[in-house]
Amino acid sequence: MEQTRLDDYLRVIELCRDVESSSANPFDVDITEKLLILKERLPELKLLDELLVDSEAILELSRIIRLQDQYLKGRASALYIDPLLIQLKLKLLPKEALSEAFIKSWHPVAQVDQLSPRGLERAFIYWRDLTPISERFKDKFGNYGIGPGVVEYSDLINLGVFTREQFESSLAELHEELLHESNGEWVDYRQFIGDESFESKVRRAYLLAFLISEGRALLKTEPLTGKIWITALAEKVKGMPKSVAISITGEG
Amino acid sequence: METESSDRALLERKVRRAFQVLVLQRGRNPGVKGWEMKRHLGRDYRKIIEVLSEDVSPMGLEVYEVKGADGTDDSSRFLLRFREPPTISEAETSGIRIDDLAVLAATIAFINSKQSRVARREVEQFLREKFPKWRIDYSLDRYVKRGYLEQDDRGMLHIGWRTHAEVDEKTLMTLILSRAQEAAKK
Repeated sequence: MEQTRLDDYLRVIELCRDVESSSANPFDVDITEKLLILKERLPELKLLDELLVDSEAILELSRIIRLQDQYLKGRASALYIDPLLIQLKLKLLPKEALSEAFIKSWHPVAQVDQLSPRGLERAFIYWRDLTPISERFKDKFGNYGIGPGVVEYSDLINLGVFTREQFESSLAELHEELLHESNGEWVDYRQFIGDESFESKVRRAYLLAFLISEGRALLKTEPLTGKIWITALAEKVKGMPKSVAISITGEG
Repeated sequence: METESSDRALLERKVRRAFQVLVLQRGRNPGVKGWEMKRHLGRDYRKIIEVLSEDVSPMGLEVYEVKGADGTDDSSRFLLRFREPPTISEAETSGIRIDDLAVLAATIAFINSKQSRVARREVEQFLREKFPKWRIDYSLDRYVKRGYLEQDDRGMLHIGWRTHAEVDEKTLMTLILSRAQEAAKK
């Protein structure tokens, strides 16, 4: 019985949420009609939970009104172009022309990302006051910290960093990316592992080490310039692997 | 006479301070909020910004204001940016990938055509005709992270504050339309 009373409310909430999470026209929701339905049903509601559902429906309707407002502003702005027309135009344009259009309308931000004397001072104070790692987690783990060592693939699985499936699919994805990027040529190793974040760099470097060990990618170094190059192989190769140590830092 | 020269010295000091505040990256995102400017330069910070914008003009730079969500002075973000777009060769030598920029240009145009909000899966589906899946995922995630695009908890993509700050969207749309006509004629 309670469910029947609330059916209209739930339908309104669901409709609003569908419109909010898609590119549908917000004017597809007839606000007046929905408000009349809610008004008609309101006297039947007795319990607090039911009244909360009513207020939720009103909240969703108000969100739709906000979307309608944005929709009208968008249509009225000079940026509005029929979506089908723009899709067609975008399909016609080669990548080079798209990026050229972007560059010609682009005003990059000018900013310097560097250490200042004040920043250095703060870093020094932080470092001076930082408790040694062996002491920091003593209370929590009851033991001394251990020195650096080798993390095996099985360790990562045991630690829950990867599941076996995730690891395999991440390897396949990275291999595909390298295949596209290198296209038979050598690509810069450091550029390929990226500069997004230290974590992401380490993750990509770790996966890349597996691809190289498995013979699905090749790596070469230029001792004079310090450059490291990689390329992907479509098929695995067999040979005597050599070990190369590469340091990854948190710098860009 | 003395007061005039001390006023001038104070103004010069404040303009220099404004430049330093704007040019040094503080947080994760570039630019300085209005309330921070007020703290650094005092209540008449807008006048100082105007003077600075004129001073950096010969270097091809300008101070640009991006209005915040609530439209107040405090929420505005001020940035130092190129007055004119870079040339194609300048952009290319800075190491930016053509594919990445093409993904961003197409996404901005697509979102604008859909009243500034579109489901990410719809954007991905549209871009897949031109770009490989991994490139789309990688680029979209990166542009969301850098503030060029915004993704809400319902998976809808919006134009990010950084696009409003750096991209002349009207020029972009016009160029896309005109270039497409040229491409069609060929």
